[in-house]
Amino acid sequence: MDYIQGIAVLIGINLIAVLGLSILTGFTGLFSFGHGGFMAIGAYVSAVVSSRLNLPYPIAFPMAILAGAAAAGIISVFIGKLTLNLKGDYFCIATMGFGEAVRVVLNNITYVGGARGWANLPQFTTWWVVLVLDVVCVVVAWNLINSRHGRNMVAVREEELAAQMAGVNVFRSKMIALIVSAVLAGIAGALMANYIQFIRPTMFNMAKSTDLTIMVIFGGLGSISGTIAGTILLVSLPEVFRNFAQWRLVIYGLAVIVIMVGRPQGLMGGVELTPSGIRKLLAARRAKAKLEAELKAAEQGDAA
Amino acid sequence: MQKVLYGILAAAMALSVNAQTANTVKIGWFGPETGDSALWGQAELNTVQMMAADYNAKGGITIGGKKYKVQIIAYDDKGDSVEAVNVAKRLISQDKVVAIVGAQGSGEAIPVATIVDAAKIPLVASTATNPKVTVSDSGAVNSYVFRACFTDPYQGKVAAYFASQKLGKRKAAIFMTIDDPYSTGLSQYFKENFEKAGGKVVSEVSYTSGEKDFRAPLTKIKAANPDVIFIPAYYNDVALAAKQARDLGIKQLLLGGDGWPSDNLISLAGTALEGCLFINHLDMDGLAAKPMRDEYRAKYHKNAELNSYMVHDALLMVVDAMQRANSINSVAIQKALLTCNIQGITGHIKIGPNHDPVGKEAWLIKLVGPNMKFQEKFATAN
Amino acid sequence: MDQFLQQLVNGLSIGSIYALMAVGYSLVYSIMNFSNFAHGSVIMLGAYFGFYALTALGVPFSVAFFIAACGTAAVAVILERLAYKPLRDRRAPFLYFIITAMGASIFIDNSVIATIGPTPKTFPSELLPSFLQGMPLEWGALNVGRIDIAIFVVAAICLGLLMLFIDLTKLGKAIQATAYNMKASALMGINPNFVIILVFAIGGGLAGVAGVLYGMKYQVFPQMSSITLKSFIAAVFGGLGSLPGALLGSVLLALIETFVSGYLSTQYRDLFAFIILITMLVVRPSGIMGRDAEDKA
Repeated sequence: MDYIQGIAVLIGINLIAVLGLSILTGFTGLFSFGHGGFMAIGAYVSAVVSSRLNLPYPIAFPMAILAGAAAAGIISVFIGKLTLNLKGDYFCIATMGFGEAVRVVLNNITYVGGARGWANLPQFTTWWVVLVLDVVCVVVAWNLINSRHGRNMVAVREEELAAQMAGVNVFRSKMIALIVSAVLAGIAGALMANYIQFIRPTMFNMAKSTDLTIMVIFGGLGSISGTIAGTILLVSLPEVFRNFAQWRLVIYGLAVIVIMVGRPQGLMGGVELTPSGIRKLLAARRAKAKLEAELKAAEQGDAA
Repeated sequence: MQKVLYGILAAAMALSVNAQTANTVKIGWFGPETGDSALWGQAELNTVQMMAADYNAKGGITIGGKKYKVQIIAYDDKGDSVEAVNVAKRLISQDKVVAIVGAQGSGEAIPVATIVDAAKIPLVASTATNPKVTVSDSGAVNSYVFRACFTDPYQGKVAAYFASQKLGKRKAAIFMTIDDPYSTGLSQYFKENFEKAGGKVVSEVSYTSGEKDFRAPLTKIKAANPDVIFIPAYYNDVALAAKQARDLGIKQLLLGGDGWPSDNLISLAGTALEGCLFINHLDMDGLAAKPMRDEYRAKYHKNAELNSYMVHDALLMVVDAMQRANSINSVAIQKALLTCNIQGITGHIKIGPNHDPVGKEAWLIKLVGPNMKFQEKFATAN
Repeated sequence: MDQFLQQLVNGLSIGSIYALMAVGYSLVYSIMNFSNFAHGSVIMLGAYFGFYALTALGVPFSVAFFIAACGTAAVAVILERLAYKPLRDRRAPFLYFIITAMGASIFIDNSVIATIGPTPKTFPSELLPSFLQGMPLEWGALNVGRIDIAIFVVAAICLGLLMLFIDLTKLGKAIQATAYNMKASALMGINPNFVIILVFAIGGGLAGVAGVLYGMKYQVFPQMSSITLKSFIAAVFGGLGSLPGALLGSVLLALIETFVSGYLSTQYRDLFAFIILITMLVVRPSGIMGRDAEDKA
C-alpha cells in the first residue's frame, strides 16, 4: 500500500477515535486524558482474536474488531461507574490514571508481547475497510447527536444542575457518551493493530490521548463536521510541513490556548456542514442584520 | 482563498518530493530527529550527510564503471512506530530510494521490516539490536533486513563472559528497565550465560522508564550483596542509578551495555561511575575511529556518538553491496548484502544466515576519569 | 530492619518533593476550583531557571534559588493573566480551563524541547554549596544523602512559612476568605483579582523551589511535568484544597509507593498509586482532610 493511501488510512483510523472523543468532550463536556487506554484495549483484544484464535479469514477480522470494541466498551462501564459521579477534574485525573494503568498492565503481560511489542499481526485493514467504517461511524455519531440523547448530552455540558432539574438523567447521559467514545476508540485501536501490524503499549500512551483531544479542539467543540475537518488537517499537515517537526507541538499548544480563549468553536464554529446547518447559519445572520437595522431605525426615530 | 491554499499545498508537496537527476543514487534514512532519542537520531543524520558530501566531493561512488552521486533522503520517525511505518512508505513509494539505512530503534525497525520485505527494498539497521528485527516470530528471516551491529543475545553473552571469566565475579545483580525490550532482553541473555558459566544472579530488580528515583529497588540490591551489578540501560538512567547507588553506600562495580556510551554519561554521573565497565561496538577513542571522529568534530563541533559510527558502517555496507553487484537495483543490492564481508570502523562485518554480523567483536571499555579507555576485545561465534 | 529504615528514609525524601509540588497545586485549586495542569510545566521551568542561573549566570547558589522561584512565580502569573483570566471573565465552562491548561503545558514543555533540547542536564556538584557535596551521611547501614536532608529542611521551612502566612497574616486570611466564597469576600472588600494573582505567584514560587530541588536530586529534563501526576494524586489523596492535606497525602503516597516497590515490585508501583486514587475517589472523594466536595453547578 503506498504512501498517500497510508496517510488516508491513518486519517480514517484516527477519525473514528476522534469522533468518539468529540461526543464525550465536545458534546458532553467531559475531558479525558486516557482514551489511548481504550484504543490499546481495542488493539490488543483484536490482536488476540485475529492472531491467536486461528479463525478462518472472512470472519477473523470482523470478529477481531467486534471483540476489541466490546472489550473497550465493557471496561468503560466499570470506569464510568467509578468515576462519572465525580467532579470534572477528578474525572480527568482518573482517566489519566486509567490510561497509564492500562499501559503498565499491558507492559507486564508477556502473552501479548509485553513491552517488547507484538509483531507480525495480519494486515486486514485496507483503505476500503476504513472508508466503510468511517461512514458508518459518522452516521451513528450524527444520529446520536441529533437524538434525544444527544440533546441531553449538550444540556449536561452547558449547565449540569439545570439539566438535572429539567429531568435529564445526568449520569446516564454521561455513561452513554463514555461507552460510545470507548467503543469507537476500541474500533480505531483494532484497525490500527491490523494496519501497522505491530503493537506495543507506548503507542497508546498519554501523548496519543492528547493528540486525539487536540484534533477535537481544532475542529471545534460541538461540531461533527469540525471533528472531521480537524482530523484531516492534523494528520496530514505534519506530512506537508516536515521541516518544522520540532515546533509542531509548540504551535499546537499555543493554538489550543488561542482557540480556547478566542474561538472555542474551533474551525467550523459550531456550524455543521450540512444543508440545514448552512441554512441555520444564514438565517441567524439575516436575523442579526435585521435586528441591527431595526435598532438603527429606532435610534434615528428617537433623534428625529 | 481556495486557490491560494491549493497553491501552497502543491508547492509544499513539490518541495518535499525529491527528483532524481541523472546518475544519482537515492538512499533513504529514517530515525528519531525529535523525541527522547533525538541525540542519537541527529548523530546518525549528521553522519550520513557528512558521508554523502565526502563521496560527492570525490565525484561520487563508482558502480559498474559509472560515477553516481549519493543523495540522502532523510525523515524523522519521532521515535514512534506508527510514524516509522509512515516515513518508510514515503521513502519507498514517493522518493523511490534503492536502500534504507538507520532505523536505530528496534521498536521502529520491526514494523518497517514487513514493509521493506514486501517492497523489496533492503534495510540496514544501525543499532537496532533486538533479534526480532531480522528474524520474525515464526523463525523466518526477514529477507530484506540486515544490520551492522551485534544482537542483544550476543551482547548478553559477552557481558556475562567478561563478568565471570575476566573479572571473576560469582554473584551478580541486575538492574533493568522493565518496559524497555532492549534492557529486558539484554538482562535475560546476561543471566542465562552468567549462570551457565557457574555464577549466580542474586537479585534482579527493575524500574519503569521515566521513573527517576531508584532508591527502593537499589536498596534491595544492596541487601543481596552481589559482586557486580549489571545495568543494561541508557546513559541518562545509568548516570542517575550510579549516583543514587553510591549515595546508598553501594560500592560494587557496575557493568553495562551499549546503551552507556555517550558524551553526557560522565558529565551526568560525576564520579559515581569511576572505574566501571561497559560493552561497546567499538573503541570510540581508538585509532580506527580517529579520522571520522576528527572530521565529525570539525564539521559539527561536537563529538560523534556511538550511532554515528554504526550508521557509517551501515551505509558502507550498502555502498559495498552496490559496488559488488555493479548495480543500483534494490534486488541486486539485497543479493550482494547476503555475502557482505567488509571491515568497517566498528570492526569486521560478515553477514551470516540470520542477516546479522557473525562473530563481530565486542569491546570492553573502562571509565577512567573523563575518558573511556579500551580494555580488551572479544569475539565469539554467534 | 535495616532495609525497612532505609526505605522509610527513601520514602520521606520523595515525599518532601511531592509535598512541595502538591501544596502549590492545591493552593491554586482552593481558590480557582480547577486543576492547573500546567503546574508541572512550571515546575520544570523552575529547574531550568535554577540550572541556568547557576551555570550561565554564575550567581551563587542561594541567588539561583531565588531567581528560579521568582521566575516561576512570574510565569504562573502571566499564564493566569493571559490564559485563565479571559476565560473567567467570560464565565467559560470549566472544561475550557482544563483544555487551556493542557495547551499551556504542551506549549511550555515543547518550547523547551525545541530550543534547549531533550537531553537531560545535571547540576554540577562543584557549584553547589559545600555542605551538599561529599559523601552521604551514614548511621550503621542507613545512608541519607545530603541533598535529601536539604530537601526535607527546605520543604519544611517553605511549608511552615506558608502555613504561618495563611493563618496569621491579613493577606493570608484574605486568601482563606476568597477560597471559601469568592463572591462574599468580594462584597467584603477583598479584591478577588489581587488574591488570585497572589495565589498564583505563591503557587508558582513553590513550584520553582520544587523544580530546583528535584533537578538537584535527579536531573533537569523537559519531560519533568509528567512526574507531577503523582503530586496531583497526592493532593487528591490528602484532600484537594487543603494544604495540610496535600502534605499528608504526599508523604503517605510516597511511603506507600516506596514500600510497594521495595518489598513487592517496581512495576506495580504506579498501578498502586492509581488504585489508591480510584479507591479514594470512590470511598471519600474529599480526601483524607478535605472539605466536602460540592458539585459545581
